[in-house]
Amino acid sequence: MGIHHLVKNIFVGTMLALLSHISLADPLAQAAAITSLDHDTQALKKAVLDLNKELFLLEEELLYPANTQVAVFVSMDVGQYFALESVQLTMDGKDVGNYLYTEREVDALHRGGVHQLYLGNLKVGEHELVAIFTGKGPHGRDYKRGATLEFAKNIGSKYVELSISDRVEQLQPEFMVREWD
Amino acid sequence: MRRYPSIAGLSRSIFVTAAIAALCSNAFSAEPNGVLVRDPHYGEVLFHFYQQDYFTALTHLAAFREQKKFSHHADEAELLQGGLLLSWGQHEEAGRIFEQLLANADDPSVRNRTWFYLGKVRYQRGHIEAAEDAFESISAPLPEELDAERYNLLARIYMDQGRFKAAADLLAGWEGKAVWAVYARYNLGVAMVRMGELEAGAELLNSVGAMSLGANDNDELLSLRDRANVALGFAYLQEGSEVQAKEILQRVRLTGPFSNKALLGVGWADSASQDYRKALVPWLELSQRDLLDSAVQESLLAVPYAMAKLDSDPVAAQYYVRALQIFESEIQRIDSAIADAAGGRLVNTLLKDDEFSTGGWNWQLENIPDDNRTRYLYFAIADHRFHEGLKSYRDLIALNRGLYSWGEKLDTFSNMLETLEVAYADRLPETTRMLASDDLQRLRDTYNSLQARASAGVDAHDVVSFAPEVEQAQWHRLVSLEGMPGWDSEAASDLRDKQRLLKGLLLWEMEKEYKVRAWRQERALQDLGRQLEFAEQSYAALENAEASVPGNVGDFDRRISALSPRITSMRAQLASSMDKHIDYLHQIAARELNSQKDRLMSYRAQARFALASIYDRLSARAE
Repeated sequence: MGIHHLVKNIFVGTMLALLSHISLADPLAQAAAITSLDHDTQALKKAVLDLNKELFLLEEELLYPANTQVAVFVSMDVGQYFALESVQLTMDGKDVGNYLYTEREVDALHRGGVHQLYLGNLKVGEHELVAIFTGKGPHGRDYKRGATLEFAKNIGSKYVELSISDRVEQLQPEFMVREWD
Repeated sequence: MRRYPSIAGLSRSIFVTAAIAALCSNAFSAEPNGVLVRDPHYGEVLFHFYQQDYFTALTHLAAFREQKKFSHHADEAELLQGGLLLSWGQHEEAGRIFEQLLANADDPSVRNRTWFYLGKVRYQRGHIEAAEDAFESISAPLPEELDAERYNLLARIYMDQGRFKAAADLLAGWEGKAVWAVYARYNLGVAMVRMGELEAGAELLNSVGAMSLGANDNDELLSLRDRANVALGFAYLQEGSEVQAKEILQRVRLTGPFSNKALLGVGWADSASQDYRKALVPWLELSQRDLLDSAVQESLLAVPYAMAKLDSDPVAAQYYVRALQIFESEIQRIDSAIADAAGGRLVNTLLKDDEFSTGGWNWQLENIPDDNRTRYLYFAIADHRFHEGLKSYRDLIALNRGLYSWGEKLDTFSNMLETLEVAYADRLPETTRMLASDDLQRLRDTYNSLQARASAGVDAHDVVSFAPEVEQAQWHRLVSLEGMPGWDSEAASDLRDKQRLLKGLLLWEMEKEYKVRAWRQERALQDLGRQLEFAEQSYAALENAEASVPGNVGDFDRRISALSPRITSMRAQLASSMDKHIDYLHQIAARELNSQKDRLMSYRAQARFALASIYDRLSARAE
């Protein structure tokens, strides 16, 4: 009979231990080892981050020098009437980008993120950019719209924004291409 | 492979789960009041941040700050950097940035959010009083999500300090997000039960356990409700209140993750009331379930225990024999898992299908191999330290892979620079000749002259100068007639009349078209001027390039030469750190697996002892 009481006691004790909040504290030596590993890992990750930043800057300065650099960004303000699927970009008649957006990326755009769709180089002079937006419009219908911008590229970086917003009074999306001030 | 809803759900303690959720899940929010993005590059960083790609976001943020691309978001960018570091597990650096930001920022919104994140950092590092100070320095309500976390963490701090009444008062006056409030009530309830305050704890746990939720409600809340009921049910069981315990445990869903524990508890409640026949119903059901759960393992002892109580010793003996066989087989499986852990296969098995994106702090392992050898890894993964270590290890792998790619890119960049040098040398003579010539100046002079002529034409209202060449030729022929010998004679009278008529017609026509022609001329000159400016800019760029390319190429070469060995050295450090992580993870796993094994061995001993007792009794009866 004694064994059964023992079983029950062990059992209830075990269950309560499982359900209660437990302490994460380890014996001192183990805690020190964990802290040291965590500290070293953080220092190493910071060093890699610094190195990565330098590599990123090197790549950008080498491949897209400031004098010729052109960047095209996609932004979304509300976007209630349009579910973005892709953007196709042509510069002076040449395809330079065709980007399919994931749900996660669209969500990031909705929350205020700005996607750098294109980074390239352009000569000084007049240029024409055409963006075709594809997705679902009001009532879930397939929707495809284009927007154009003619712009002058001078010496120095040029930033262009492809903006998707809502035209509330017409219950329609609005697509704009403009130079980012 | 089996897909599990959440590994965190297997965590041994709701406190751990809630604390991790509070500290790590969506660790940083960049939406104080709907920030209007005014610098595209700031928005670009947010784009990565919102996808929880913290490493890319941090890299870009640091690079863009160095390039001074955040003219409108200076303070926000610093706060974002701190938050991103926190989200990426860099508590030390994040803390430094928040302290620095507090010393410099004047904007109350930035200061309040900074206090909040600093409080989180301090709490994570175990500086409880300092964390409390930080949270209490917040002078205005934060965005809803952050406020919920603040209250929850503050309640945790009070509980850690044993100030349960303060925690209860704080939660009572809090109208924040429901899910956070529920977690906080649960934690406080469990803490009070553990402190012996059953009545007060039961009230809190009951408020969670009796929540009105539909089957389609948030799974997290449904699980939490079950968990509260199991906790309260077992608290009552321990107090000897079997009837109340059973009533509470029967609220638990039969298919949820806590159903096994509830079934076991219901059986014990019936057993405590001497109703062993009723106790057998949940225990027999439980004994058919997945053996991984300790409740199921314990039911293998509970069933023969009840059988014996019902004077069915022969049947009880059969069940004990079955239990012994099962425990034996499970112990062998754990031995295999321990051997796997020691052989270094454990972590690689867990991460074999992982994509190793630099996702950061919110990463959760969702799939684990589903076979007999690895099933006990659940317990290791459910350990907070193991999971955090695994995430860190995974980050290191991703960083190592990233640096490998950069190494390959640097080789490409070196080749590019060599090609650029060759192209530069080829084109230099022609470029030098072009830059030395006065072609561009002559074009500028011609343009200036054209512009002067056009202005003079407008000032003098010279309609003829804006007319097409044909009309100008006709006009000059008509005018030249006036210089002919005998033009003024009587005989030329008809000719003079015709000439006057034609001249008048032509002038009328030119006058009529003048405005359009002058406007077109102006437009054409403007276009020409713009093209000329572009040409001048190109010349300037060419001149600049002629002078700077050798220097730039040399500079890039030097940078590449300096970065290459750093990549090699950093990869070696990463490899060493990964080895340490593997050792650490294997230690935790082995400890957890051994603890599982010890438990099973204890059950096996109990089963053997109980079986021996039954055989003794049966022998005694036979004699």
